[in-house]
Amino acid sequence: MVELVPTLLRQELERLAAENQRIDGRGQWDSRDVSLEVDCLYNAEGSAKVVWGDTIIYAGVKFEIRTPWPDRPTQGSLMCGAELRPVAHRKYEPGPPSPQSIELGRVVDRGIRESGCIDMEKLCIVPGEKVWGVMIDIHVLSDGGNIFDAAGLAAIAALRTAVVPAERFDVGEDHRLLVNGSPIMASFTRAGGRFVYDPSEEEELGGDERIHITLGDEGHLHSLQKGLRGVFTPSEFAEILAVAEQKCTKLREMVAEKEGN
Amino acid sequence: MGGYGDVKLLRDDGKRLDGRTVDEMRPVSIEAGVLPAADGSAMVTHGLNVAVAAVYGPMEAHPRKIQRQDRAVIDVRYNMAPFSTGDRIRPGFNRRSREISKVTAEALESVVLVERYPRSKIRVEIEILAAEAGTRCVGLTAAAVALADAGIPMRDMIVGVASGKIEDTVVLDLDKAEDNYGQADLPVGILPNTGEIAFLQMDGDLSIEEFNLAMKYNFKAASEIHVLMVDALKRRYERGDN
Amino acid sequence: MSEGQVGAEQRLVTPGMVIGPSTGKHAGSGAIAQNEEFIATRLGWLNEQNDVVSVRPINSAYMPRSGDLIVGVVAEVRNNLWFFDVNGPFQALLPMSLAPWKVEFGSTRQHLGIGDAALARVQEVDEAHNMVLTMKGIGLRRLNEGCVIAIPVNLIDTLRGENNSMVSRIRDLSDCRIIVADNGRVWVHGDADNMFTVRGLIQTLVDEGHMNNFENAVHALEQQRGEN
Repeated sequence: MVELVPTLLRQELERLAAENQRIDGRGQWDSRDVSLEVDCLYNAEGSAKVVWGDTIIYAGVKFEIRTPWPDRPTQGSLMCGAELRPVAHRKYEPGPPSPQSIELGRVVDRGIRESGCIDMEKLCIVPGEKVWGVMIDIHVLSDGGNIFDAAGLAAIAALRTAVVPAERFDVGEDHRLLVNGSPIMASFTRAGGRFVYDPSEEEELGGDERIHITLGDEGHLHSLQKGLRGVFTPSEFAEILAVAEQKCTKLREMVAEKEGN
Repeated sequence: MGGYGDVKLLRDDGKRLDGRTVDEMRPVSIEAGVLPAADGSAMVTHGLNVAVAAVYGPMEAHPRKIQRQDRAVIDVRYNMAPFSTGDRIRPGFNRRSREISKVTAEALESVVLVERYPRSKIRVEIEILAAEAGTRCVGLTAAAVALADAGIPMRDMIVGVASGKIEDTVVLDLDKAEDNYGQADLPVGILPNTGEIAFLQMDGDLSIEEFNLAMKYNFKAASEIHVLMVDALKRRYERGDN
Repeated sequence: MSEGQVGAEQRLVTPGMVIGPSTGKHAGSGAIAQNEEFIATRLGWLNEQNDVVSVRPINSAYMPRSGDLIVGVVAEVRNNLWFFDVNGPFQALLPMSLAPWKVEFGSTRQHLGIGDAALARVQEVDEAHNMVLTMKGIGLRRLNEGCVIAIPVNLIDTLRGENNSMVSRIRDLSDCRIIVADNGRVWVHGDADNMFTVRGLIQTLVDEGHMNNFENAVHALEQQRGEN
């Protein structure tokens, strides 16, 4: 379903931007409240729930044993998928995965994969015969804006607390999945002509293009995505990149804190 | 029903493996209004099951062919999250979830005053986040609370409960092992005020006497869960100052 | 309405709940008679007035009635009419003959385009939810500025207050123009800081309106303004 974009909302966003304000009273680079819960679902080998403003997302990790690809006999595999099911918002319709669902899953997937936080060699059980396949599924229950950051956070938190169910598959003892680092995403949407961090539902509805940046522990870029209609300048990007660095560091600390429990 | 006769499900003291008596249900907790984007919502935790339901509407029924000129249609989707079970489920509709969605919708249409909203549809989305036997009942309970939370007029609530048979003994609310290795499962949807039944399925093997006992257990559990449903709705809205 | 309830014992009922015996009384909205008893059909507060037992729903969708004042957003434009989103289950139609301007066939888009908001009245609505709007009438117009804030329709009466007393107080303390439409949309226009004030009050109403905190918030703000 294509959502109706009210003219007055676009005007309001422009007016607020001119006065450096946002609809919900936040500053340009302020986040909404974020809460993270891990190990919250029976049956998932790793799980996390993120409540980010009005957005609620679960991520679950499952494992399977599979045969490695012939050209990489000692490497396991990683897959991250997302479903924007109609539970999450009036605008989502039932049916096969939409391009939006696929984009969300792939952007989160790239950030995790390219950061190298999962060593595929460590997922090997018997070279050429048996490797672990790690599957992360992102389940959006309520879309209140900025589902990308919430999905990325849920995915990495679920992974970092996942237990490999080796006993169930009769290949050794259960053990924590080895994850070296926490790639974290920061998203920006152009609302009223300028970029804001962590767009709300209204800012997404009345806004333009969005940019998603995934940063690793060292501050390196691991995934970038520009979505929706609109263009931006290199200097705008430099500005939001600096903001992303701070935001990702803070969220990384939140993940580390939850792991300790 | 798996029907593996050699798996022991009752202890020598007559209690079940998790220590419950035959007519004791797993712990249940209910919360209403959990999803900000939905018009109404609920989360039900029943044992290790977690079900979330969202309600959207009434809205214009699309596509046109599902529209009814004299009443609303209830469009239910029961879905299990990929990580909700032991082995990952491939996303998408399957025969099982389609059937459950159909009978759940028909059960809800029996209590919702659908004639108030001609040509409309009311969307009910049931998501199972964790499954430990009995998810269709937990989903039905969640859907009923979500509908009430959305302000949809209903002549009664519906409570989803199940009883079954293990080792030739009728028991209330099968857990996963009991469901896998038991002899019968009888999930029902009960209207707590009128005592009518809007949802009924059964598989396995039950004598008429066993059926009657299982239904007795179901009614007992339904009234217990109904108290929690009402409490969940009240907690969301009760005035703080009077 | 809200004033009348202060201090009164409020009883929250859920669908299917027995409210009491039906003898000598009538069932109002949100209640049905069944076997000599009244049964609640909605989640809400029980209300009994002049032998009519009803339930004031806590949450409900907008169901248009003729005469309603609404804020609509244009969803579709044809050569001779507009379709509006009115926050209800069905779109509403505004024929060019009921627009406040002299509209030539084919020039509808020059007056109202997709996404534009307008203040209109429900001219007619039938049982099948077919709905016709009119913009002929005092104050009915295209809304060119300000913003639209959505609230649950059951909170409209609380926001307006008795004889619009509450909305007048908010107008006074915020210096904003405010129109509370019947379809759960509130149009607000003023300078940025004042609009934030109104937004904040409406947010309190939406989040905590069932606990009288809204009235307290308005009162507190009046005191604060009075001191300054």
